Amino acid sequence: MSLIEKYIEKYKEYRRPGYYEAYDYHWTMTIDLDRCTGCEACMVACQAENNLPIVGEKRFAQRREIKWIRIERYWEGEYPNAKLRFMPMLCQHCDQAPCETPCPVAATYHNQDGLNTQIYNRCIGTRTCAVYCPYEVRYFNWFTYKWDEPLEQQLNPDVSVREKGVMEKCTFCIQRIRMAKDNAKDDGRRRVRDGEVTPACVETCPTEALVFGDSNDPDSRVSGMMNSPRGYRVLEHLNTVPSVVYLQRVGADG
Amino acid sequence: MSKVNRRDFLKFIGAGGAGSIAGFLYGESTKKTVEYLVPQVVPPEDYSPGIATWYNTVCNQCSAGCGIMVRTREGRAKKIEGNPAHPINEGRLCPRGQAGLNNLYNPDRVRTPLKRTGERGSGEFEAVSWDQALGEVTGILYALKDQQNSERVRLLTGPTTGHLNQLYATFMAAYGSPHYQQYVFDDLAALREASKRVFGDGAIQYFDLENADYVLSFGADYLANWLSPVHYSLAYGNLRQGGPKRGTCVQIEPRMSLSGASADQWFPARPGTEILVALAIANAIVENHYNGSDRAAWRTALRNYRPKDVAAATGLAEIQLIGLAKRMASAENPVAISGGPAITGDNGVATSLAVLALNYLAGSFGRGVTLKNAPEFGTGERPLASFADMLVLRDAMSGGDVDALLISETNPVYTMPQSSRFADALAQTPTIIALSSFIDDTSAMADFILPTDSYLEAWGDDVPEFGTRASIASIQQPVVERLYDTKSSGHIMLELARRIGGELTVALPNANMEEYIRNAWRQSYKDDNNFDQFWRDLLEAGVSGRRVSRDDLNPIPASASAALRREIEASAAVDSTEHAFYLQPYLTTYGDGSAANLPWIQELPDPLTSVVYNSWVELNPQTAEELGIREGDVLALRTEHGSLEAPAFVYPGIRPDVVAMPIGQGHKHYGRYADNRGANPLDLLGTDTDEASGALVWAAVGVEVTKTGRRVRVVKLDGVTRTLGRQILHPPEGSGHGSESGHG
Repeated sequence: MSLIEKYIEKYKEYRRPGYYEAYDYHWTMTIDLDRCTGCEACMVACQAENNLPIVGEKRFAQRREIKWIRIERYWEGEYPNAKLRFMPMLCQHCDQAPCETPCPVAATYHNQDGLNTQIYNRCIGTRTCAVYCPYEVRYFNWFTYKWDEPLEQQLNPDVSVREKGVMEKCTFCIQRIRMAKDNAKDDGRRRVRDGEVTPACVETCPTEALVFGDSNDPDSRVSGMMNSPRGYRVLEHLNTVPSVVYLQRVGADG
Repeated sequence: MSKVNRRDFLKFIGAGGAGSIAGFLYGESTKKTVEYLVPQVVPPEDYSPGIATWYNTVCNQCSAGCGIMVRTREGRAKKIEGNPAHPINEGRLCPRGQAGLNNLYNPDRVRTPLKRTGERGSGEFEAVSWDQALGEVTGILYALKDQQNSERVRLLTGPTTGHLNQLYATFMAAYGSPHYQQYVFDDLAALREASKRVFGDGAIQYFDLENADYVLSFGADYLANWLSPVHYSLAYGNLRQGGPKRGTCVQIEPRMSLSGASADQWFPARPGTEILVALAIANAIVENHYNGSDRAAWRTALRNYRPKDVAAATGLAEIQLIGLAKRMASAENPVAISGGPAITGDNGVATSLAVLALNYLAGSFGRGVTLKNAPEFGTGERPLASFADMLVLRDAMSGGDVDALLISETNPVYTMPQSSRFADALAQTPTIIALSSFIDDTSAMADFILPTDSYLEAWGDDVPEFGTRASIASIQQPVVERLYDTKSSGHIMLELARRIGGELTVALPNANMEEYIRNAWRQSYKDDNNFDQFWRDLLEAGVSGRRVSRDDLNPIPASASAALRREIEASAAVDSTEHAFYLQPYLTTYGDGSAANLPWIQELPDPLTSVVYNSWVELNPQTAEELGIREGDVLALRTEHGSLEAPAFVYPGIRPDVVAMPIGQGHKHYGRYADNRGANPLDLLGTDTDEASGALVWAAVGVEVTKTGRRVRVVKLDGVTRTLGRQILHPPEGSGHGSESGHG
């Protein structure tokens, strides 16, 4: 086998979905649409935790808002049988992420925990990844945003503040994952226990619609939720293999 | 020794010189800049650098009283989470609670005491010292007391529970004025009045949605803006997926609210006829399902409300009414609740009574609907002012009966319609002293603004009124050092008491709010030996109290059903005024408008329309088509009391004869994020009240809609709000798989 073939084999190995099963974690979220009420507490929690900028009305109108998690609304039927359905949409952390391959500088990659990760320092702002993302959850910093004094005192010191020209998106609150791993290490444990990591959106959700955990652990709460017969992944036919599993809404009305 | 000639010597010198210069420059260039480690000789007591410190306290963004934990780093608040040990919210929080840090770090907070320099209402003030401000205020209050004019001083506050309520009451009693009132703009006055009439107590019952299998809501937006949104959202989640059987939710309201969108069935009854719907369902239950001993009496009481007689007026079909009755009667644990537009019309109390009757007939009394235990932390009745009481206050002010008005953390100039002319009455009041964190529409009229702490900087406590049947009280403690030269409202009152002297000093001897709260808790706790330990544990836990099982609750008095029946018989049937268009102002994420200055809330898309930063008018698509209106057409809404302009938004979940508008925008003064955005729909209202409760009528009023011909862009998050066959809400047909991870 030539050296090049060796590298190709290695690369294929790396691109194989589920390669990280060899590693400790595969972080996964389930979203129960039968519990979700669309209250948007998750959106504010994310804004507070991850130093999302306040872009202002003008830039919002230019579609330059930054919301790592958002609630999408879909109407079904017409009055008086109109139904409104809510859909929390965040980075799906796809195992075969369409956004990862086109990046010319490899600023976005898959880490060993199954997270789709963005390296801000490496990003040169081509915005290609946002074009390739079928879920439209990548947000570009068109400006370096300022916080009106003293709002900047709230900024989370564990999360970097991004500048103009950088793409950003949901990280599954990687700073909390890191913290939990460090704590586990300090306690002499090899693994993080189920429930020790909760992203900001999951922690605040008033109806407990969001559940987060490690799907490599068969006993974790999220593994149980994933196996619900209501489970599905959004735009599954695109073969992106998301790490976010939605549980269908049920009831007489569907 | 070798001979060195002059030339070689100079070469050496030259090479050595160049070398040492190069060496020097190299050394300088790589030298690290000098940094000094400054030892913290006296390290700060309350944090270690790099490690988060958490404080438990209580949320103050609405009246629900959720427990919160605040994460601080290096003495600054970074994130608010729910307190998992708090029985109301069990670690969860709503958008407004999450945005509390915007209140603390708001750039528009008042940073020093202010004294008016410009015209009343112009918002022009000069900064003065606390000593001067309190001195001048004390001078005014002391003089009035001295001249036996204590009764000409009034205190008006926002929603206040716990020992701060007690402090206000004590202050006013010792000062000699009976005029202490709280004004809250919400949809609950009818519920309180109905409780008073049936159960003899103004406390609202506890509605156990968590264990219900059928929830019939008449306009109550329990997931967003009713009693205790986080508590009821938790209950909703468990009702849906917490047990083996999924509960059903039905919503009856003219405009689909957040709870309406989450319900299984949504019935748009004609505004003002919710009472007929409730009584028709009650009639069908009595006729077909009920067999209690008082059946005959109830049949008589409800004889005029047969489904087939009232169906036409309500806009619901007879078969729908009978079907609802059947579901309600056959459910194991049904609960009916009322709120929002159903009980803020001129028959609000009657509607709440009718809904209570439904609960009684479906057997929910004592099960889904229970009376709460008397709280163990008695801090006195809250002197709630109805809208009618506020009109009395207005008349007193414009009649010259009020010499000084102390107004704390409430904004009646915004929440009362302009037609009430409350602002004009304020302008005629000789002295207005506002205790406020912001210059808002009301405090802009004040002579003195005494800046108050944010709730994250102050001491206090909270006895939650709704949301749980546990007997609990929460403690509020500062989580950060004060940012500015502010004091808590309680502290200001204590300070005034000390300066005025006399009976006030005797009644309120404490130097500050921390001492006051601690003493008050010591008196409730009684066991002095252990108090210090108890207090430390309390500050750590943030909440004290216990859960109460259903059996420990106060039983519902047997007389309740007779009282209820009497009220139903006495209540007038229905307001039958029909309008071409009904106006429905509704509560949304902004609450009563107090959250409009929080940038995170301004930039949060409205949960139902996704609009940000503005007001809008919702219209049914069919109506919009008939009138030739598209999204963004600026509409003029006009009533006999006022008019305003706002862009149209076509909304599929609203009756064709209703136009709805969110409350919260349209502030004249409320800081950079809220000023002059959108319009306030309350300004379209008159001063009509529901006679039974004295509450403002803000549902089922007529309005005139015209196009102005101008267009604006409605700024919103949503693009296309139909799935258009995309596999977003449902998996592809027939692929009902459990999901193995990582299949390709």
